[in-house]
Amino acid sequence: MANTKTDEKLQKIAKDLLESGEVSLIIGYTKGSNSQRMRPLFVTRTEDADKLSFSPNAVQDLAVFLKKAEVKKFGKIGIVVKGCDEKAVNALIQEYQISRDNIKIIGVECNGVIRQNIADKGETNVSESTVYDKCLICEEHIPVLYDFLVESEEPKLVLSGKVKPYSEIARLESMSSEEKNAFWANEFDKCIKCYACRQACPLCYCSRCIVEKNTPQWIDTNSEETGNAQWNLIRAYHLSGRCIGCGECERACPVNIPLMLINEKMAIDVYNMFGYKSGLDINAKPVFGVFSENDFNDFIK
Amino acid sequence: MARIGVFVCWCGSNIAGTVDVEKVREEAAKIPGVVSALDYKYMCSDPGQNSLRNIIKEKNLTGIVLAACSPHMHENTFRKAAAKEGLNPYFVEIANIREQVSWVHENKERATAKAVDLMKMMVEKVKRDKPIEDVRVPLNKKALVIGGGIAGIQAALDIANGGVEVILVEKEPSIGGKMIQLDETFPTLDCSSCIMTPKMVEANQHPNIKLYTYSEVEDISGYIGNFKIRIKKKARSVIEKDCTGCGECWNACPMHKNIKSEFNVNLSERTAIYVPFPQAVPLVPVLDRSVCLHFKKGGKCQKCYDACGPKCINFDLQDEIIEETVGAIVASTGYDLMDTSMYGEYGYGKYKDVVSGLQFERLLSASGPTEGVIKRPSDGKTPQTIVFVQCVGSRDPEKGVPYCSKVCCMYTAKHAKLFAHKVHGSQSYVFYIDIRSTSKGYEEFVRSTMEQDGAIYLRGRVSKIYEDDGKLIVKGADTLSGNQVEIAADMVVLATGVIPKQGSDKLAQMLGISYDKYGFFTESHPKLRPAESSTAGIFLAGMAQGPRDIPESVVSGSAAASKILGLFSKNEYEVEGTIANVNESTCVACFYCQRVCAYNAISKKEIKDRSGKLIKVVANVNPGLCTGCGACVNACFSKSIDVKGFMDDQIYAEIKALAI
Repeated sequence: MANTKTDEKLQKIAKDLLESGEVSLIIGYTKGSNSQRMRPLFVTRTEDADKLSFSPNAVQDLAVFLKKAEVKKFGKIGIVVKGCDEKAVNALIQEYQISRDNIKIIGVECNGVIRQNIADKGETNVSESTVYDKCLICEEHIPVLYDFLVESEEPKLVLSGKVKPYSEIARLESMSSEEKNAFWANEFDKCIKCYACRQACPLCYCSRCIVEKNTPQWIDTNSEETGNAQWNLIRAYHLSGRCIGCGECERACPVNIPLMLINEKMAIDVYNMFGYKSGLDINAKPVFGVFSENDFNDFIK
Repeated sequence: MARIGVFVCWCGSNIAGTVDVEKVREEAAKIPGVVSALDYKYMCSDPGQNSLRNIIKEKNLTGIVLAACSPHMHENTFRKAAAKEGLNPYFVEIANIREQVSWVHENKERATAKAVDLMKMMVEKVKRDKPIEDVRVPLNKKALVIGGGIAGIQAALDIANGGVEVILVEKEPSIGGKMIQLDETFPTLDCSSCIMTPKMVEANQHPNIKLYTYSEVEDISGYIGNFKIRIKKKARSVIEKDCTGCGECWNACPMHKNIKSEFNVNLSERTAIYVPFPQAVPLVPVLDRSVCLHFKKGGKCQKCYDACGPKCINFDLQDEIIEETVGAIVASTGYDLMDTSMYGEYGYGKYKDVVSGLQFERLLSASGPTEGVIKRPSDGKTPQTIVFVQCVGSRDPEKGVPYCSKVCCMYTAKHAKLFAHKVHGSQSYVFYIDIRSTSKGYEEFVRSTMEQDGAIYLRGRVSKIYEDDGKLIVKGADTLSGNQVEIAADMVVLATGVIPKQGSDKLAQMLGISYDKYGFFTESHPKLRPAESSTAGIFLAGMAQGPRDIPESVVSGSAAASKILGLFSKNEYEVEGTIANVNESTCVACFYCQRVCAYNAISKKEIKDRSGKLIKVVANVNPGLCTGCGACVNACFSKSIDVKGFMDDQIYAEIKALAI
């Protein structure tokens, strides 16, 4: 397929950045092995910049690579990000995992990415019935922070309101505690402890995850009821107030646990209780790291 | 191999009455690793401690568990006893079976079961204890006193007389605080400035005291023994060392109208360059740049400069920043009076002759605006009838504050007394809720105001004050006779409630000490540690802690000083070794620990290889600041922080002990 204008702009920016030596690595997307797929691309040589591309199939959150030592050793890095992914970059800056000075953010205006399972069947239209739920609630089609912005040529996403994003949350909220427990017990029962959710998450950057701590072993590593619930709930708690909603955990999950229901519910609760949304401001203090006397505390009985 | 001793205390019948102590002892003996189990009437007694020490020796114990009272009571006692036998004191664990069991349960069987569980948990914990060394922090033997009122001055003098250097910082141009504004003081009627000025002068001349007036503490960091202080010395526009305090400058100042004197509580005016009162210490004027013509009109006026003999006026002087390191701090920032204008019915601010208690002090004072002759503000006439209203703002949860301001009963009695002494044939009325006169000589003082000086005390509140034909009509209730009363007064004095000094909450946050909902600094323990704040090395004195009178303020200043001298009698300060500990190999430097640390104890540490190349950044705990609260442990996602003595594996073992 030919280069789009978006691709050309991306390639030009990347080339300039590499040529001038402002960065030594650019993480972006390139066309995949078939037309419905995009895959991550790591560009270190100017001549490879021509391979960069972007499309509504660029589902991956490339910010996940920023936590990796192999990537960090490049020092100054450029990264192609959608609005959602860019929030992960911000959160990583807030949590001191990367320095703003070491990163060039190449923001791409995104009007939604097509759900991979539909795209695989040949769907090419960006519409409210083909994109991820996160795209339907997206408020950052243009990233909140960038050094370069590549505007989209795609038509804007039109929302009729017919498709309710994360509609399962409301259904779960209406359930009794027992029903909720049963729902999640059923979902977690599928978990095979492959930790793909963790690996795909840009904010799961601990070098030694709590599940790997074995003195004492807080979380059972066997794939069984208690350990599965412990793992998934602790991960959800570790991400509450931090998850930026890229949905990569759920996309990566080989057994289709609806992890975003927990993460999104946590994000909604954190916003309602503390007025905080993750990843919007690199200078904001993460909600877990601040105490205010005005914090609600009616849970203390 | 663990060799644990378990000691079950009866605490007389305190524990043994509700807990089957023998059963607890029997259960203890069954636990693997327990080589000795004993129950005894009073473990804390000398024989109790001796048997503990003997068994440590005989059985060569590696750890001991006391099933006894709260660790708050006797942890230290038993740690010391263990240490005497060469055991690391942190190998002592307490299972609290008194406060947490016998005192809160009635069913003996179930209470015993719970006591056994708690004991088991501690046995598992003590098995995993590791030796902990106390942290020693070197002490900078220098003290900072914030606030130069009577409490601060007393603290500074006592510390200085103990041979320790003191930095005394005062916001106002002169030290003296509120006390120097007072006239005569209850119950002995000695004049405030007569007893206070010698202390002020002594503080100024003391070789161990460095005085910074017209200065504010801008920033404080560090910890006990090592506080870094930044003081802003505001520009006085006068070169202090050259000034003789002759007064030529303020006499020459053309700005002598419309600038209210803060010292006289707006009852007189001052010049732009001024000393707040004639006995000010230091006797060096301050040029108030906000009203000075030189600064307002582009440098034209320099009359003070021209009048100054030693030419010590310098319009270009700038604020100075002074940095100091001290080992201990006294916070004695004093108080303010409530703004009573919110009591519309009393007409404060509306009627000139309704004044506050502090204003009346100034009217009584020989150095005040009327040179001690009581003249009412509206027309300068001497009042014949004065109504005093107590509890204005105090004890009023609705509009004011719920607490009692403590000094108002006494100063009102004093006001009425001095009014009777100064204006013969006059009459005063006092509206009160209760009379609180509990210190030495106080009750007799109030009595004599009533009986010898003829003040009429009416128990009840004033409902309204209004002006009518040059008189203030005071309407109120006399609840003892059940009558409504109406008094035509020439003046009304409101006994205004006491509130913390404005900005004291900000200072508390800077110091990292706790304060109550009103803003008064809170003591580490209200009864047993009244001079200590919640933060080690920071002590409290005076009204900043709550309403109190002069003798109490002096006592509290001396108490803070004695604490500091005690602290400084050693070269190092020992901090409990149960502090946070970072696992540097797993720390990923997200610094949530630093964000949640209330004591600023966590900083960033760079780990470098031998060639100086940065390998990683990790969290680092300052042992002087860490209190071992554990907030960081909760915040750490990768579980890379533990608190020594409360390690993860210990907590886990405790929980598991319950499951068995």
